[in-house]
Amino acid sequence: MITCGMDLGTQRVKAVILKDGKVVGRAQGFSGFDPTKAAEKAVSDALKEANLTMSDVKHFSATGSAVDMAPYANSTVSMMGADAKAGVFLVPAARTIIDVGAEEARALKCDEKGIMVDFVVNERCAAGAGAFIEAMSRALEVKLEEMGPLSLKAERASPINASCVIFGESDVVSLIHRQESKPEIARAVFDAMADRVSSMIHRLGVNPEVVLVGGVSKDVGFVASLNRKLGLSVVIPEYPDYVGALGAALTAASRAAKEAQ
Amino acid sequence: MKNKSVENKYLPEVPRKEIDELKNTVKTASQKIIADNIARMKKADSHRPEAMKYFDDIADLFGQRQEEIQAEKEKGKKVIGYLCLFAPTELIMAADAIPVRVNSGWYDTSKLGDRIVPVEVCPVIRSTIGAKMIELSPFLEKSDALISVLTCDGMTKLSEILGDAKTIWGMNIPRIKDSTQSLRFWSDEIKHMKDQIEKFTGNKITRKSLKEAIEVSHRATKAFRRLQELRKGPPVIMGRDAMLVNQAYVWDDKVRWTEKTEALCDELDKRVANKDWVCPPDTPRVMVTGTPMFWPDNWKLPTLVEEASPKGIIVADEQCSGERILNDPIGVDEWSMDDMLKAISERYLMASTCPCFTSEDGNEDRINWLLNKVKEWNIQGVIYYVVRGCMLYAMEYTRVKKALDKINVPVYYLDTEYTREDVGQMKTRVEAFLEMLTARVDF
Repeated sequence: MITCGMDLGTQRVKAVILKDGKVVGRAQGFSGFDPTKAAEKAVSDALKEANLTMSDVKHFSATGSAVDMAPYANSTVSMMGADAKAGVFLVPAARTIIDVGAEEARALKCDEKGIMVDFVVNERCAAGAGAFIEAMSRALEVKLEEMGPLSLKAERASPINASCVIFGESDVVSLIHRQESKPEIARAVFDAMADRVSSMIHRLGVNPEVVLVGGVSKDVGFVASLNRKLGLSVVIPEYPDYVGALGAALTAASRAAKEAQ
Repeated sequence: MKNKSVENKYLPEVPRKEIDELKNTVKTASQKIIADNIARMKKADSHRPEAMKYFDDIADLFGQRQEEIQAEKEKGKKVIGYLCLFAPTELIMAADAIPVRVNSGWYDTSKLGDRIVPVEVCPVIRSTIGAKMIELSPFLEKSDALISVLTCDGMTKLSEILGDAKTIWGMNIPRIKDSTQSLRFWSDEIKHMKDQIEKFTGNKITRKSLKEAIEVSHRATKAFRRLQELRKGPPVIMGRDAMLVNQAYVWDDKVRWTEKTEALCDELDKRVANKDWVCPPDTPRVMVTGTPMFWPDNWKLPTLVEEASPKGIIVADEQCSGERILNDPIGVDEWSMDDMLKAISERYLMASTCPCFTSEDGNEDRINWLLNKVKEWNIQGVIYYVVRGCMLYAMEYTRVKKALDKINVPVYYLDTEYTREDVGQMKTRVEAFLEMLTARVDF
């Protein structure tokens, strides 16, 4: 059976094609001003990679913040539900899943079947999420992708407060005025984010394995800070930015199977 | 009325033109929101009870009810407003005055409150200040005096701020509930309030008039409990409808409210008999607890829950804008003045589950209320609703979560503000929570 999952995120749209429990195609693009169109493009690219066509797909399921704009969707699933499903699919021992995206950080607890039993989301502010790194990289005048490697060169930590992106930026500016080095400031940014995210996880209870997914899990600086904070090593699956879309594709598969019964 | 020659301690002088302009803008927006809320509630139930029509009308804060109050005022009746539920409304009624609750549910006026207090302050407080600044609330404006019970920090300072514009009677509430000296202290406050109300209205509160007032409350509680009883089984009324009925009590005429609620229950009895459910009986059953949700703007959470995909239904709450208004009757043994006053003191203090209290076991009464509701109303999930700055509710969450975890009932902490802009984010969370409740049976 072939199903498709779409994740319409705040910055990027991702699509995954699933065939009998195996990923056979994936593609992504910027959400831009027309997430519907971006999703259509991602689906067609993913289908191309899988050598399949639209008519082969039995069930489309969508997730993400722009879920209401998803094309083709036969059903929808919440972002947390999708994370739980895909997290346990990729890492069967996963019981805590952290998803850090551009605008949102969330953590959830799940059981062995990939059913979410509890979750928390960052409090109405992007300070614990990817947009924070982006804003801080602008303040430091370094490229976004250089922030992580830069932070690993830091010799010590200088704490800042990440209660919000705007205040975080003024904190960074005061570190600049104190003539702290760029690596140390970069490290401070990741430490502050990791602080926020780890306090979210502590509210749920830290249940290993802890799996980190979402676009920000590709940032080595954030991962290092988070591991330090949690005192463990988070598991990052391959293609962590596609986890939402994979969760939707898995949901599509179980729903299609249910319908067939 | 306040002597205007005294300088204001807090409230700024706002030019008349600005007051009128702002008031008109916010009022127009609010009327649209009220109409929209009601339209969506109508849509949610294809054959909504006839009796809801009355409550739809009474829900218009700028409509019929405030005109009635104005007419009574012109005949010489006093209006006594109040902010917290601890204000003994029976004493007000017994002195032939009109009790009406005046907390603001308007999002737009919270921005005006920001001119006086920082944004960190609870938006219920900021919004009530803003409503006063532009004279928006018909009930607050028509109040001849206000009873302000010093429960949380916000309420304490709010009473000072409103004191610039209104006669304020503060009531000291003890923070430790389960002690004889607390009850003695509070009983004195109640007695003092009786004297104050009598002096202000010029009407003596007699044994007869107080007994009648308590009986009015008793009948209302009975009607309310009948409605709640009907929410225990498969749903025959949408949560929003029941919540509106419940909340309207604080500004409606108490006797008429009781008649209309009984009429509503008669209709709902028929629905039960015909197994005419308002939504599929397997719809997840949700309880809301936390910060009060004042009509009209604070309808976003119940609307989201009941319009979400998957849908949920609210069957119970633990809020001072909801069930706590009428849940507990006043337990009178003998109908002597002393005994009635004692019963009122006990009812207002002991029955409350407000987080402003603590005791040897902390706020154990609230936990017991929640656990009892979960069991009796067959609750599958609890939404813990908190507005930013509502410290006491925010802090008590950890304890509530522990208690609910123990009986394996999921609870979600939903924080929000007096704003419409976060509905999208709230929707994501509410839907994930409802999906989680459904997943326990579905997936």
